Amino acid sequence: MIDIKLIEECRGGNFNNFRKLVELSSPFAYSVAFRMLGDEDQAKDIVQETMVTIWQKLKKIKTAEVYKTWIYRIVVNKCYDHLRNKKRNREHMADEKTWSILSERISQMPSSQLENDETARIMGTLTDKLSPKQKTIFILSEIEEMTSDEISEITGISKSVIKANLYYARKSISGMIEKYL
Amino acid sequence: MKMEQENEKYEKVLNILRESKPELYSKEDIEREVIKRISKVNQSGLNLYELIDFLFSWIYIGWVRRSLITAAVLLVMIFVYQQGVMLKQMNFLSRQIIVTGGEMQISTDQQVEKLLLMYKRSGRRFPSRSITISEKQMKELIDSVNNIQIKYKDLMKLIEEDSELKKYVENKLIENNRTKIKL
Repeated sequence: MIDIKLIEECRGGNFNNFRKLVELSSPFAYSVAFRMLGDEDQAKDIVQETMVTIWQKLKKIKTAEVYKTWIYRIVVNKCYDHLRNKKRNREHMADEKTWSILSERISQMPSSQLENDETARIMGTLTDKLSPKQKTIFILSEIEEMTSDEISEITGISKSVIKANLYYARKSISGMIEKYL
Repeated sequence: MKMEQENEKYEKVLNILRESKPELYSKEDIEREVIKRISKVNQSGLNLYELIDFLFSWIYIGWVRRSLITAAVLLVMIFVYQQGVMLKQMNFLSRQIIVTGGEMQISTDQQVEKLLLMYKRSGRRFPSRSITISEKQMKELIDSVNNIQIKYKDLMKLIEEDSELKKYVENKLIENNRTKIKL
């Protein structure tokens, strides 16, 4: 659990405390980055860059809630930039295997956890037709289960635009699920 | 019915994705790398900030800042005033050149030659009027002006030498209510 006391201790320049903050923050930062990018190395780079940025801006963080919003904002923005650049040489993934994994998991009761590469494959296939903005909004809303207000605060996108993009993303993904699953 | 089935499948897929949190296997590597990078940032950043603080921290003192603003405004005002004066002087000087040109005296052959050359280059036209005259006429005019000047000098010399004549001229000038010319 990240509390303000730990952040305050880090502000003094204590590397050991900051190491602890990195240890506590990196799993959820990595989770968002990996879901957005679908690549372990890129997600790790994003986490590292995010933590360095956090270190530089520690003085501006006043509460633990603000810290969490900050970390999401930095990760999401860095991933969004990555996605925009990546879109130019996008490759379509092998769909058949993805759908077979999904149908197998759905039939299992209770369904077991996906491996990282499986998650990457499924996320890649489902969001392949979405724009970077739609993908970001879909992941934050549907996977990370954030509210429109939270997404708006993190991305800086207005709530009406979030709703419109989310509607399109849901429609596109449910259409694919219906078609192939 | 079909809609419900669609939603059910969609929710199932999303639940699988929500529950499957991506695993971070090399947390220690990330920690190590982050600490390494922030150490570098600190080493290079600290000296620069210290230097900037040392050099420019005085600008944050209130009265220094206000004085600087006043000085800057004054300098701008002086600059604008100076530009105005310069412009005025330039206009005045350019007018002076025209007047001096009008009063140019011709006394030597070289000056006559120069004037003739200028006259030729200007397309045989006087700058103030559009009357074309021949080169010969121009030379005659300049010669006659020179002759008048010579005759005037001779006359003045004669008046100077003859005291009676000088007195006579002075009286005549007074009679004509003209300004007294000291000969």
